[in-house]
Formats: sequence, structure tokens, C-alpha cells
Amino acid sequence: MRNLVKQSLRRTAWIARITFLEAIRQRFFAFLILLSAALVVSSVSFRFLDFGHGELKFVADFGFGGIFFFGSILTLVMTAQLFFAEIENRTALTLLAKPVSRWEFLAGKFTGVWAVLGIFIFTLTFILGLVMWGRHQELVALAEAAGRVPPDLSVSGVASYALLQWLRLGVITAMVLAVSSVARSFLFAIVVGAMAVLAGQLQWIAQEALLKDKDLGMMQQSFLWLITRVIPNLQQFNIGDALALDVASVANGAVWAASVSGCIYILVLLVLAGLGFRRREI
Amino acid sequence: MSVDFAISVQGLTKDFRVGLAGHKLRAVDNLSLNIPRGQVYGLLGPNGCGKSTTLKIILGLVPATAGKVSILGFASATSEARRRTGFLPEAPYFHKFLTGRELVSYYARLSGVAEVDLTSAVEAALELTAMTEAGGRTIGTYSKGMLQRIGLAQAIVHQPELVILDEPTAGVDPVGAAAIGKMILAMRAQGKTVVLCSHLLGQVEQVCDRVAIMDKGKLVLEGRVDEVLARRDRQVITATDLTAPAWAAAEAALLANGAKDVSISHPRRSLEELFRELVKGSRDA
Repeated sequence: MRNLVKQSLRRTAWIARITFLEAIRQRFFAFLILLSAALVVSSVSFRFLDFGHGELKFVADFGFGGIFFFGSILTLVMTAQLFFAEIENRTALTLLAKPVSRWEFLAGKFTGVWAVLGIFIFTLTFILGLVMWGRHQELVALAEAAGRVPPDLSVSGVASYALLQWLRLGVITAMVLAVSSVARSFLFAIVVGAMAVLAGQLQWIAQEALLKDKDLGMMQQSFLWLITRVIPNLQQFNIGDALALDVASVANGAVWAASVSGCIYILVLLVLAGLGFRRREI
Repeated sequence: MSVDFAISVQGLTKDFRVGLAGHKLRAVDNLSLNIPRGQVYGLLGPNGCGKSTTLKIILGLVPATAGKVSILGFASATSEARRRTGFLPEAPYFHKFLTGRELVSYYARLSGVAEVDLTSAVEAALELTAMTEAGGRTIGTYSKGMLQRIGLAQAIVHQPELVILDEPTAGVDPVGAAAIGKMILAMRAQGKTVVLCSHLLGQVEQVCDRVAIMDKGKLVLEGRVDEVLARRDRQVITATDLTAPAWAAAEAALLANGAKDVSISHPRRSLEELFRELVKGSRDA
């Protein structure tokens, strides 16, 4: 039994490795990482728009926003593209004719894509962290000279943000894999995947309504309850500026709670992807 | 589940649903086949006759609507069956950034070849497919013939008992096709069962022990090649330097002894034989 698990993990790791090598070579990945890096670095150039603490918040929002936006696009396109490339180029035929289960195939695809997204997120967050730290040093000197309270910057908060964003992109990867496992075309997977991401970003509205609006009818309540259970809440991962600049405003255990729910979402979505892919004709 | 056969197919039927209304399209219709072990078996038929669908069902890539399929006594689509099977799909495509050697190593690992045996298994597969020298080049630089050969190498790297080849010579020149034919015979010599799907009937005739012909999803003929091709109501006499008077005498003697429809003609070599003779020594490597 232990040997079977070991062999299964070995096969999954090799599929992940090849997926990673394929993804990292894509021009689309290089283009988006360069574009996002340029956006993050250029955020300092817009500091005339605000000063002091507000300026640092602007840099954080600008940088986090760029990483969030381009990271989402990269995840959507890359996951669907790598999945459909295997089907359309018929490499999946050769692969699945080997003693490779469809679960291993999906887990390998997920891990390979997620590893590339890790490079994207951690590289850009590192660059943003450097930009923010450099400007923070200048602002601290200026504030001390003027006798004002210097702005806060938490390096560990920036690192936590990177981890949360990586988890968020992991959830999106699993979502797109779940859609792709039953989709017949790349375009369909992209469109439905994008809609699912949008729904995930707006899920909090339903959650708020369910918690706060006491005048809702039974049907409305049931509908909102269903939405909050079925659609992953992607907004919970977007607490980057608070983690970096105002750690005190983040509730105790919020990062852990978001991390655990992110892992559960990934697991559930991968199981759904596996069930959809199980009887798919290759 | 018969262990006597490499592949046993019983009452296999596959329906596809097409269009919005979900109309039923029958691709394979109640097919039963038993492929003996250690032979080269040709699966023939026109395009759309259900050959590839049958192969995909055998490999567990497509679920059957009805029927049973077993590989070497194991239910198809189980990892036990796949571990013993090698497959080369039609017009194979591989990751272009890998070298041939890396690709074969990758598939060897997926097939469960142990790390200690990996190098020898990969080199043996490359050698059998004449890809040892080109194994260090990236796949993006390979010709069609080399792609087929590296595809064959990945199919046999884990020493499967059964090798399924779907159009292994498609797009390959006659010299390359002949080389693949030799590889098939070498696999048979090693005791493997080879299932060959091909439109190159001349090659099928040369390398296959048995053939099955499918049409419209049904099996229309199955048997040993020499049995199905032999015309028991015809005889051929071949002679060299036969003069016209000698032929007239021979013809008269044959007619006098009850022979009918006697004719004279020059034996022909096949175009493939002529081509191979003319381009001898040239091959894509």
C-alpha cells in the first residue's frame, strides 16, 4: 500500500514537473510577469498622488492590485491552455495509456501550474516589498525630521499577503480545472472560468446580505445560503494592504482562517474536477 | 477474462451522442475479437470504421457502451493492464522542449520503471528504435519519421507484453516505414504481441500473422494472413526465358489437361519494392 502511494506520488510529481517546464517557457507567462513587474516598480512614480501614510497605501494598493489582476488572468489562461493542450495535441492519449490515473493527471497539472504561479506571486511580491521598504525608509526619515508619527510597514504582513494570494490563485486554478474537465473547448473554459472568478470575488455581497439583512424571505435566505456555500469566497484573500500597513486591523486568526478555507476549496474543487474528468472521452 | 489471449473483446458496442438532440451514432457494433499472444495482429478498415475507437476502448481512454474487454487477463483500463501495454497513437505529439532521451525517461518513470533500471531501459528502447544518436536532440528538431520512432521508444521502454500501434507509418517515407516494420518483427521475436492499425496494406501483409478487417463498426473478416489471402481456385506458374513457341506448347498442354482461363503475364514487383531499391541507403536520421 505504502509503495503504491509512493509510486502514485512519483508519477504525479513527474507530470507536475513537465507541466511546470512547459508553463515556464510560455511567452504569455514572461509577458505578464514583466508587465506586472513594470507596474509594481512604476507605482512609486505615482507617489505625487498622495503623501505620508497615504502614499505608502497607494503604492501597496497599486502593486497588490496589479498582482491580483494579472495573476488572475495568468491563472485562468495558463490553466485552461495547459489542460486543453494535452487534450488537443493528444499528449493525454499517450500519458493516460500509461498506468497513470486521471486523478494523478489532474493533481500533476494542478501542482505544475501552482508552482509557476508561486514563482509569479513570490517574485512580484518580493519586488513590491523592496519598493515599499525603500519608500518606507524615506518616509520614516521625513516623518522623524518633521516630528510626525512614521508610517508602519510589516514585512511579515507582505509575506502573509504573498501566501494568501498564492492560495487564492490555487483556488482559481482548481476552479478552472473543474470547469475544463467537463468543457469541450478552451474558449468555453476561459469564459466560464472567468465568470466563476468574478462570482467568487462578489460572493461576499451574498454573505453580507445573509448576515445583516433580517427582512429576507425564506426563499431568498436559502438562495443566499446556497451561494455562500457553493461559490468560493475569493475576497477573503484580499487583505494585503491591511496586513502590510495596518496589522492591528486584521482580526486574530484571519490569515489562518483564510488559509484553511483556501486549502479546503482547492481540495473540494479538485475532487469535482476529478469526478468530471473520470469518464471524459480522450 | 481469458489469460490465453493478449486482448479479448466480447460484444463491444460504442455509441456516441451527436448534435443537440443527442442522436445516437454507433461507432462499434457488437465486436468480438480474440488476439492471440506473441503474434503481430493487423486491425484494418477504412477511415471511420471504428478501429481507433476500438483501440481507445481497449486502452480505457473511452468507456464502452456495452461489452467486455480484457488485456492479458486483466480488465482493460486497470493499471495492471496498462503496465503491461505500450501504445503509440496516430501522429503522436510530444513536448518539443524535451530531448528524445528525456521524453523516453519521462514515460519510463510514468510506466513504473525503477530508477536503478531507468538508464538501461531507456537506452535499450532508443537502440531498438535506432534513436540512440538523435536521443540528445530536442524533439522540436525531429522529422516525422523520428517522431514515430521516438513514439515507439516511449511505447516499449517499460518492456510491455502488448504493444498497440495506431498508424505507426503514417507520413513516414517507405524506407522509414520498412525500418518500423523491422522493429515490429523484432518485438515479435522478443515474444511481444503487437496490434497494428495501418492503411499500408503491403506492410500489414508482410509483418502480420493475423488480420481483422472492420467496416461500419463491425468485424467483416478475421483470420491468418496466408489463409485470408490465398485464392484456392487459382494457380500461378512462373518461368524465366520462356519463348513464344514454348509458351504456346505449355498453354496447349494446360488446356488439354482441363485447365481454364490460362493467361500469360510478367510478374510485377510492388512500387514499394521498386522505391526502396532505388533509394537504398537513404534514411532520415
